[in-house]
Amino acid sequence: MAPLVEAIELKKTYMLGKVPVEALRGVNLKVESGEFLAILGPSGSGKSTMLNMLGALDKPTSGKLLIDGIDIATLNDNQLSDLRRRVGFVFQFFNLIPRFTARENVELVMSIADVGKAERRKRAEELLEAVGLKDRMNHKPTELSGGQQQRVAIARALANNPKFLLMDEPTGNVDSKTAREIMNLIKRLNEERGVTIIMVTHDQHLAREAKRVVQMFDGVITSDVVNGEPT
Amino acid sequence: MKARDIFSYSFSAIRLRKLRAGLTTLGVVIGIAAIVALLSVTQGLQNTITNQLETGLATDTLIVVPGRGFFSEGGTSIGGGFGVGGSDFKLFINDTEIINSLSLDIETSVAIIRKNVYLQSQEQSLVVTIRGVDFAKYAEIYHTTFVADKGTINLNPANDEIVIGKALHDPWENGTLLFNLGEELEIIWTNTTARPPENVSYTGRVTAVLQEIGGFGVGGPSDVGVYIPLEQAQHFFGTEECDTIIVKLKTSERDVINAVSEAITDAYGGEVSVVTSTAVLNIINRVFSVIQLFLAGIAAISLLVAGIGIMNIMIVSLIERTREIGILKALGMKNRTVLMIFLGESVIIGLIGAVLGIGAGWALANVVAVVFSEGGLFGGIASGQSAQISNGGLTIVPVLTPTVLVGALIFGVGVSVIFALYPAWRASKLKPVEALRYE
Ligand SMILES: Nc1ncnc2c1ncn2[C@@H]1O[C@H](COP(=O)(O)OP(=O)(O)OP(=O)(O)O)[C@@H](O)[C@H]1O
Ligand SMILES: [Mg+2]
Repeated sequence: MAPLVEAIELKKTYMLGKVPVEALRGVNLKVESGEFLAILGPSGSGKSTMLNMLGALDKPTSGKLLIDGIDIATLNDNQLSDLRRRVGFVFQFFNLIPRFTARENVELVMSIADVGKAERRKRAEELLEAVGLKDRMNHKPTELSGGQQQRVAIARALANNPKFLLMDEPTGNVDSKTAREIMNLIKRLNEERGVTIIMVTHDQHLAREAKRVVQMFDGVITSDVVNGEPT
Repeated sequence: MKARDIFSYSFSAIRLRKLRAGLTTLGVVIGIAAIVALLSVTQGLQNTITNQLETGLATDTLIVVPGRGFFSEGGTSIGGGFGVGGSDFKLFINDTEIINSLSLDIETSVAIIRKNVYLQSQEQSLVVTIRGVDFAKYAEIYHTTFVADKGTINLNPANDEIVIGKALHDPWENGTLLFNLGEELEIIWTNTTARPPENVSYTGRVTAVLQEIGGFGVGGPSDVGVYIPLEQAQHFFGTEECDTIIVKLKTSERDVINAVSEAITDAYGGEVSVVTSTAVLNIINRVFSVIQLFLAGIAAISLLVAGIGIMNIMIVSLIERTREIGILKALGMKNRTVLMIFLGESVIIGLIGAVLGIGAGWALANVVAVVFSEGGLFGGIASGQSAQISNGGLTIVPVLTPTVLVGALIFGVGVSVIFALYPAWRASKLKPVEALRYE
């Protein structure tokens, strides 16, 4: 079986005016289905850029990215949308829709995926309860703290039962206690439901919870450790 | 995404900017209201005029006037009463005999001498158009309208008899009489062909007042008509010429009307014009279509302005919501769905605008119709020293045809959608990562 994700000499160059910024400079990575992988790296090392590629939000400048064996460069907009629906994405900056309440934000992804109204509501409530926001469901993002917004974003990412979860610093804005709770939730998803997880973090301790830790620096992978053993 | 979810998403976006959406909608309301008001008023006016003409124009009569028609309609020339000059050709009173002999479909014909005269009583003096007609034949042709309300129309009248229309008797319908039954009236005519021009006059007596006719009375009797016996007119005006010959047919079939019209025109070598009621109505209808098109066009411009307003606001909204669109696309929303959300917003604005606009336009049309009908643009009678009497007031009942109704709805929504296409398309093409980075 093809790996869930395979990146080959993946490069991404942004143009800032006339100045090229090389965010990714040749990344090689294979992720099998069911893995729990943490990406560590200093700010600006290309972690978010990498995650955007994996979530089919962006296309590489050169190199190849295969998801489920399919080269995403060959997909059209419609096929990319279909792919994104199957991926749960937690953005670094939450990206909730301000005019919707927490529950409506979670329901929205399900309505995009054509889930029926009653089912949407039930599931949104369950998920928000699971992330500890039972009593904040009808609040808008501006009425929530950073950590609460982050948890809404996690609930939203889980709404369509994705088999593949991409999280950009899911614990970046929460206290250590909430961070623990979130980590436990993520670990359970991985262990009990076999969800593949790729999580970007700054935190060495949290990264240790993952089975595999990938270090990025300046647009390339500098180390790749599985269960404490370098590969 | 399901249609209902798309729609409610569009709605939530509109609700976020109520004032802005309200003002945009107002643009559509004004445009649609203008179109609906103008079209329903002109339709009402057209109906009024057509009805009045139908009252005045019997369908089985032809009007023959000297002069070439100024345009043709199905082999029949239209002219004469509608203003054709330039011909020296004259019709004579005994041309009725020639015309009668042209076709077996002709029942009878009657010559009319028409002159403008002063009609004077002790207190009043008016300029009126007087008609010399054979009372017996005229009453036969117009047996429903040349009917006395007061007095009697003698079929074999004495020379001094005068028959007047209702508007010359009781114009205000309040008992204040202009000329009364039995009153002696002086008829004064200025003979401009005499050198020097001279005034001639005689005294007549009102022996009948016609019942109310309504309508314009083209060719036929009218409420402002004054009728004297044909022989008296011949004698008084010193002429054998007549201005019009009315031909009554045995049927009102179109083929017969066309054949007789052609026979008459041919017999006079094209020097006369034959006016038929259907032709007149056709022309009126054509003129009105042009007017309606023209007015609707003007109103449509205001709707286009509204459309540009919609486009403008959609572009602003697109820029403001770039990040939101980025989120939607990152969550797997298809380009097509983003497009539909934006178009949905324009459909909502267009639909609400069109519905309110139709209501407002209809209300406006009714106000205009009342002002138009009572305000004397057409109505009212100017009286007094040597004043000319005009027709009685025209009442306009605005008409909202289903075509206009549905058309306004489609047009309102259509314009909104068309002007939203470009912003919606741009929104749908946004790249998720770039849109998400947009501040
Ligand atoms: N759209 C863009 N246009 C231009 N440059 C960009 C763009 N996106 C990212 N970059 C640049 O690419 C590099 C990598 O950015 P990226 O966001 O992937 O870093 P990161 O590892 O996620 O950092 P952080 O930990 O601060 O989130 C940075 O130098 C950034 O300035
Ligand atoms: Mg980042």
